Amino acid sequence: MSVPDSTTIRLERVRRVYHAGEADEVRALDGVDLAIAPGEYLSIEGPSGSGKTTLLNLLGLLDVPTEGRVIWRGTPVERLAERERTRLRRTGIGFIFQRFYLLPTLTALENVELPLQANGIRGADRQRRARLLLAQVGLSDRERSFPHQLSGGEEQRVAIARALANAPQLLLADEPTGELDSVRAQQVLDLLEAAHRSSGAAVVVVTHNPLVAARAARHITMRDGRIVADSAGR
Amino acid sequence: MNATRWSLRWRSLRHRTAQTFLAVAALGAAVALPVVLLSVGGGVYAHELSSIEHSGYSISVETAGTHGISSGHALANRIDGIGGVAAASPLLSVPIDLFTTGGTVVPVLAEGVIPNAFQATQSAAERALLPSSFMLGDPSDTVHYANGTYTGASSGQLLLSTPLVQTLNISTGASIRLAPSSNASASAPFTVAGDFGLPPGFLGPSPLFVVLLPLSQLQSLVGYAHSPSGAILDEADSIQVAMVPALAANPAAVQRVAAEIQSLVPYYSVVSLSQQTSEIQNAQAVITGFYVGLSSIGLIVGLLFLVIILLRRVEQERQSIGVRRAIGVPAWLVARGILVEALGLTLAGVLAGVGGGVLTVELFARYGSGAVSEIAGLAVYDPVTLSLLGAALVGLAFVASALPVRRAMTLSLPEVLR
Repeated sequence: MSVPDSTTIRLERVRRVYHAGEADEVRALDGVDLAIAPGEYLSIEGPSGSGKTTLLNLLGLLDVPTEGRVIWRGTPVERLAERERTRLRRTGIGFIFQRFYLLPTLTALENVELPLQANGIRGADRQRRARLLLAQVGLSDRERSFPHQLSGGEEQRVAIARALANAPQLLLADEPTGELDSVRAQQVLDLLEAAHRSSGAAVVVVTHNPLVAARAARHITMRDGRIVADSAGR
Repeated sequence: MNATRWSLRWRSLRHRTAQTFLAVAALGAAVALPVVLLSVGGGVYAHELSSIEHSGYSISVETAGTHGISSGHALANRIDGIGGVAAASPLLSVPIDLFTTGGTVVPVLAEGVIPNAFQATQSAAERALLPSSFMLGDPSDTVHYANGTYTGASSGQLLLSTPLVQTLNISTGASIRLAPSSNASASAPFTVAGDFGLPPGFLGPSPLFVVLLPLSQLQSLVGYAHSPSGAILDEADSIQVAMVPALAANPAAVQRVAAEIQSLVPYYSVVSLSQQTSEIQNAQAVITGFYVGLSSIGLIVGLLFLVIILLRRVEQERQSIGVRRAIGVPAWLVARGILVEALGLTLAGVLAGVGGGVLTVELFARYGSGAVSEIAGLAVYDPVTLSLLGAALVGLAFVASALPVRRAMTLSLPEVLR
């Protein structure tokens, strides 16, 4: 049921437990409350195993909580079928992965076309939009290149273009500069910032890198599956 | 991307060249086996049925053993008397030795026949192979037979098969001797009245060296005329019965005549060719079922191979699948990708298998030895059977793809994108 809600996504008392009830039970998230407003730019920091990636998976509707609620733009989604969550991801969420995850058999242009195709945008219109996005990330001249023909920085720029393809309300980036040298990392962060400004989407960046976190307006720190610090004071 | 969908599929297949090749090879081998078995088996039976359909006779009287029919001349005469019968031809086949005047000894197959009855029970094609001098000086074989006394004058004429004439370089009018064993002293003299062509072999190598002579003379020569006690044997292997032309194509009339013959000789097997056709068709159904069963083992192995290859691909492409699903590509589109890939591999396998099977049969027909070449040469490629085979494999491939599709659908996104 949808209720008026000004947040893009909100987590309420979320717990995520793996192997529940078994000897190797892992409490990845333990009672997390988090609300992300439209247009926010926030970083999630914390040591390895603190629950950052699990939190990102829940924000991206890739996973469901063991307990608690996940509310996407006023609609509880924690009990939705995979098909519905896929639809919400398709229309509202963009992903940028540390390892880029471009499809190796598709060209740069075709990789950017992929989410547009999934959204039912056809033919010439889809190609026009994909070319525009590649132009925005400065890769007009590489549209026919395959991922193995691109540098790491170029791959991540294609991944950003792909993430922006369907004009998402939420852009999730998991260590987006983890595989890049400092110069290319800065270029990617500049692009991400520009995309944030132009699209108005909320941006969540998971990172270990203080320079990456410094670009965010709001900083969340996690430890042992809990949010231990939130610069917004919420 | 719609316009280039197939080029994307092709790119995906090329991306895993070795796997693609192995899957196509496995499916191709699985398809080639039934193509060979069904084409050759079907061809052999079609040839057999065609031979029967084009026979000059309609009923065959046989016994379980060789030379098991006694009183062959008399029985043929009685059958001749049945209404609707055009001719009854007793046949006796015995391997004997031929001695030339130059001292050469050649083992040959001697065929004893009643010339005019034999000619009347041959098909038009077979009759065309016989020379005009075929009657051998005693058309009804009654002179030498002399009512079972075998005391009449022997015409002493025979015909040699063309390959035998060519090998021995014998001309018409030449004298030769025939003996039941390599004992020239037990031989009888004959004059070559001409030569005859051999019809195509039914299956396997046909005897090339054949002599045709009057039935009674062969019986006398090999001791099948009388028993040691002097009783008449008059033995033959079979009697072929031709119907008058107006009734030959009438199954009811043929059955009636067969029943009348059976009442004359209740202890012999009387088989109409339509019965033989039916028996052959039944045998064909059984053998085809066996071929299909045998082939299905190969097809199952091929499909298992396909499933393993697809599962392997799902494992190798789990990140790509995960990314597609993460960015919102509907599950059915991901599943369709796997099914289309399975379809592509299967169709390629079917084409390779049909091509490979046909090529194998043709190579056997061209370069195989003896019977192998002859049997392969009879192969019939039935488009309906081949299409059904391909369609069945494609259908099974779709069913078999359920496992890899399920695997892809149940991948844990957080795990594969970690």
